[in-house]
Amino acid sequence: MIWQFDILLLTLVVVCGFVSLWIKDLMGAVIVFGAYSFLMCLVWTGMGAVDVAFTEAAVGAGVSTIFFIATVFHTSRTIRYNKWDLSTKFFSSIICILMGFFLMVAIGDFPAWGDALSPVNNNVAKYYLENSMEETKVPNVVTSVLADYRAFDTMFETGVVFVASLVIFTLLLQSDGRKKLMKSAFQKVSFLNVSESLIIRKACGLMVPFMQLFALYVVVHGHYSPGGGFQGGVILGASLILLSMAYDIKKVFARFHMKFMIKSLAVGVLIFAGIGLICLILGGNFLDYSALSKLFPSMGSIKSRYNAMLWVEVGVALTVMSGMFAIYTSLSSNGKFEEGL
Amino acid sequence: MFEYLITNYNYMVVVFLMMMGLWAMIAKKNLVKKCIGLVIFQTGIILFYISMGAKNNSTIPIIDPKYGEAAINYANPLTQILMLTAIVVGVATLGVGLMLVQRIYKEYGSINEDRILEKFK
Repeated sequence: MIWQFDILLLTLVVVCGFVSLWIKDLMGAVIVFGAYSFLMCLVWTGMGAVDVAFTEAAVGAGVSTIFFIATVFHTSRTIRYNKWDLSTKFFSSIICILMGFFLMVAIGDFPAWGDALSPVNNNVAKYYLENSMEETKVPNVVTSVLADYRAFDTMFETGVVFVASLVIFTLLLQSDGRKKLMKSAFQKVSFLNVSESLIIRKACGLMVPFMQLFALYVVVHGHYSPGGGFQGGVILGASLILLSMAYDIKKVFARFHMKFMIKSLAVGVLIFAGIGLICLILGGNFLDYSALSKLFPSMGSIKSRYNAMLWVEVGVALTVMSGMFAIYTSLSSNGKFEEGL
Repeated sequence: MFEYLITNYNYMVVVFLMMMGLWAMIAKKNLVKKCIGLVIFQTGIILFYISMGAKNNSTIPIIDPKYGEAAINYANPLTQILMLTAIVVGVATLGVGLMLVQRIYKEYGSINEDRILEKFK
């Protein structure tokens, strides 16, 4: 942690956030907000949180900006002004200034920034850092805490992604048009009205295989380097999103079936919970992977924890990939699943 | 004074970002701007967690024999994984919020709060 660097970046972050709220054009605000997320990603790297930075770069600067753009594209881009309404602004400013003042007063009681001896860094976190290598043989402690020690948390977070994509999928879909949609999404389509630009199409066609290869590497190599199921899943989803922006959604659905997408959304959560359930059946606790060594005696308890983590990450990646793509297709086509952006 | 500023700058930024997000959620009339305020509030909280786990003179939480085994040499992994999952869940819930914005636009033809209230009557 280098405090000069961090202070500079944090100041820039505040400026970017302020500008994105202040700017009148919504598209401009969204793009500035993408820059805000990217600066945040640099801040995380400066504080040693590389996994978080990786996630923020893929999710915050990449996918969530696209979600915002899709919404602005389908609603209105300009902000309409009614009569100057001062009372709400005045009232909310007073609330925020008061609350901010009290929080600022409380700051003095917190441990200093970068204090290695503060309570946050010394109870459970210390145990994870000192014992992860012995107990699981995974050098990246973030992965071992994510997929092993705190797997219960992660399972329900994956469940939230699953539920959120289902909600979006069902609510934006009009009930009368559902039958028609199912028919139209699965039939063979001619790719005549694809994106106009030849360069974008060809460049995306070249980039997508490398993106997917890199995403698979991120998922599999998460034990040793920053990365893992969440990051790899988001990059896989982003590659599909790129493909559907260059061509259209129908073309991607012809390769990656909509039914298949919904199934893999569910299968990811199922893999995660299923591994936990197998541990339970074999006599261990829920998601206590060392019980798996009864099933594969040659592996031993450490090796089975190591391998089970990989499968859990694969499950997470499946759910996150399909979830991101499902949210994108619903948002960008306004529930029609035809053209997209 | 300068010492206090350096050791507490992260918390000041946290308070600033959170209040900025809260203000945008209350005062802004445009629903997309409200969503941006929501995400800014969220990043404020994430910054709070991550900066609590940062340590001076430490490296990233990947165990390397070169840096020894003492916990003091590595950044805190626990706060990081909590926030890592929070970011991904945050984007999924942001998707739900934006979907509601689109649905409201379909129904009322506007994403301005005052106009929607007018049509509501």
